[in-house]
Amino acid sequence: MTLETLKPHFPWITLLVLVVLVGALNPSFFDPGALMLLMADIVPLFIMAMGMTFAIYIGGIDLSVQQLANVVTVVATVYLANFGIGVAVIAILIGFLFGAISGYVTTRLFVPSFVSTLAMGFVALSMAKWLSDQRALSMDATLRNDSFGWMFDTTAGFPNELIIALILLALAWFLQTRTTFGRSLKAVGAGELAAVASGLNVDKVKIIAFAISGAFAAIAGLMFSVKLSGGDANLANGFLLLAIVAVLVGGTPLTGGVGGVVNTAIGTLIVMVIRAAMVYLEVDATQQQMVFGIVLIAAIALTIDRSKLRGIVK
Amino acid sequence: MYELQQIDKHFPGVHALKSIDFKIGRGEIVGLVGENGAGKSTLMKVIYGAYQPDGGTVSIDGTTVRFQNPRQAMDHGIGMVFQEQSLITNLTVAENIFLGFEQQFVRWGVIDWKALTAAARAQLAKVKLDIDPSIVTAQLSFAQRQLVELAKVLTLEERVDGDLVILLDEPTSVLAREEVELLFQLVRDLTSRASFIFVSHRMDEVLELSDRIYVMKDGEVVDVVAQADAQVETIQHKMVGRDIDKEYYREQKQQDYERTNPLVSFRNVSHAGSFQDISFDLHAGEVLCLVGTEGSGREAILRTVFGLDTPTSGTVQIKGETITHFNAQSGVARGIGYVPRERKVEGIVSGMSVYENMTISQMGNYATGGILKIGEERALARAWIEKLGIKTPNEHKDCAGLSGGNQQKVVLAKWRSGGSDIILLDHPTRGLDIGAKEDVYEMVRGMCADGVGIILVADTLEEAIGLSHSIIVLKDGQFQQRFEGMPGDKPTLFDLVHHMI
Repeated sequence: MTLETLKPHFPWITLLVLVVLVGALNPSFFDPGALMLLMADIVPLFIMAMGMTFAIYIGGIDLSVQQLANVVTVVATVYLANFGIGVAVIAILIGFLFGAISGYVTTRLFVPSFVSTLAMGFVALSMAKWLSDQRALSMDATLRNDSFGWMFDTTAGFPNELIIALILLALAWFLQTRTTFGRSLKAVGAGELAAVASGLNVDKVKIIAFAISGAFAAIAGLMFSVKLSGGDANLANGFLLLAIVAVLVGGTPLTGGVGGVVNTAIGTLIVMVIRAAMVYLEVDATQQQMVFGIVLIAAIALTIDRSKLRGIVK
Repeated sequence: MYELQQIDKHFPGVHALKSIDFKIGRGEIVGLVGENGAGKSTLMKVIYGAYQPDGGTVSIDGTTVRFQNPRQAMDHGIGMVFQEQSLITNLTVAENIFLGFEQQFVRWGVIDWKALTAAARAQLAKVKLDIDPSIVTAQLSFAQRQLVELAKVLTLEERVDGDLVILLDEPTSVLAREEVELLFQLVRDLTSRASFIFVSHRMDEVLELSDRIYVMKDGEVVDVVAQADAQVETIQHKMVGRDIDKEYYREQKQQDYERTNPLVSFRNVSHAGSFQDISFDLHAGEVLCLVGTEGSGREAILRTVFGLDTPTSGTVQIKGETITHFNAQSGVARGIGYVPRERKVEGIVSGMSVYENMTISQMGNYATGGILKIGEERALARAWIEKLGIKTPNEHKDCAGLSGGNQQKVVLAKWRSGGSDIILLDHPTRGLDIGAKEDVYEMVRGMCADGVGIILVADTLEEAIGLSHSIIVLKDGQFQQRFEGMPGDKPTLFDLVHHMI
């Protein structure tokens, strides 16, 4: 057992250790009902992180997700009256389109993804501000309940939110491990040059990866909007850092090629447990991002594949 | 003075250096020869401190030393003149010479450029190079840069007490004949200042310059010969370990081919900056070898056939169809397989298993509606592991963990199993040991017998001659000469070299 062979197991070991520590700190943490609520609460973040996993898996990053979620909260709130549940389709299309544009800019115009997605994020943010007139909008309660109330019901004692998350996870996992697209993603992430020399359409794979990231961010935004029954251009602020943390502590390194959506599920649970711990330890809400910033740096430093960087980091 | 005793070096799956004894005396010029993969570059890296040996001792004047990095080796007087030049082209010559060692010129916290330039001029005088040290390096010719590189290493003379050992890695590969003469004269003159280790593929040059020659094969020093006793044939024999004979390149299995319906046809094809006005036909069962020095356009032609590069003029036909859109996907779809030189980076995907690597170019054949049939992929992989004798515990093994020869077999299996009948081989035997090379040669003959057309850029000229039906010699992207190479009527090394340089 060397450090290298142990590395893939770090995420769940970390999760286990944290759960035990937090449980010791506050045994009520293990109360099934409360735990389920805690998990349901983190579903929008999980969905966003799951999408982001695709961008990071190919060695890129998607910094636009938080702003995409923001614009979707506004769109969903504004157009709920016109389209009802159909607003979900619009939301997902918006996310997909924004992601695809980021992907196109990255692959065809050779703008690194951290810049292209950052820029697209600001485009989305500005759209959200424009559309909402910089006001916090709220949904009509009956309309909301008619179209999306089911999201917050329970089925056989399980919150529907969790079930949605699990279905999306199963879908994403299937996409990643059982389809030609998923295999291409792995090839691009693990050895892009070899993928090119094997005749894969690498650009297409990357564009779709960013589009999926955008679509998942939109779903996250929609759920969050319905949950809070409203939308504004800053509603989803605070999601971005946590989503990146969830992907990286889950074990998908910035260099890509390993990890995946199941890792991100574990990573999201780690984020959840850390958040719970901070509540128990009475860490002020304003200080939480400090902790996650440091966790993020530690996670990157631990997971990154240095052999791929060839000693050059800029 | 500088001595290695029983140096061992292992890499995963490779015993790269096996108990090497090596020494060099003051003012001596020592030659180092061996085939690709014999361990020359590993040995050099141990000498200049880039690798740390696993066993054995390194000593200077009887004192044992251990270098953690090249800088420590430099502090002991060991310098390296790199084959791929290490000068930074947008810095001036003087800045390059003292890169990393500017401290000596710092006055009041800033660099005294006048002093640095004067010192650089003194270094350039050592190599008899009369240029202004404040010009930008990009303006120099290759030969001049090589000398600047040497001047840079010679700064060790002022910095270090004791003797210098300077490694010259293929210093002549880009030089013209007169420039080589000048360099050799210079090296001989400099033996009053330093000892030299000279590594080159060109046997005649090694014989001409070296006092003693170390011959390496498969990670071992198989012989040390003094200049007076050195003969090209005997050294070559020792390098290869046998006579380079017909058996080695499987010439007895070389069959004639149909000269109709070419698979690939180039008519006056040019690619700006890499090759001009190239025409050839490749037929089923033919091995067509492109021969030339580095940068002669060989690789660019391969990339154009595959579809990675788009030619600027001329007509490319694949199986009778004129190609208008060049991209790798349609190249693969037309049955072209590309075995790149950088096996670990472009050939295989490290981190993916053997079966995933084999189907990466043909996932469509193993999927319905985008959903993979992994069972069938694995069955395919098992069949080809068996067929090519790939040494791997199973088809799930990460390809990165296989030896070079087995990785190459995986790459070939990828294309052959997908039905490719035009195979482009770029240095397919680079870095492989002799047994693995012979396996590749065997596969080349096997593919020809199956009606595959092969375009080859060989690792050595002997390999090019031994394997090919036809040879095209290129120089600076221009067609020079075409040779037929049927068994019994093959061109000689001299015939080719004559047109290459």
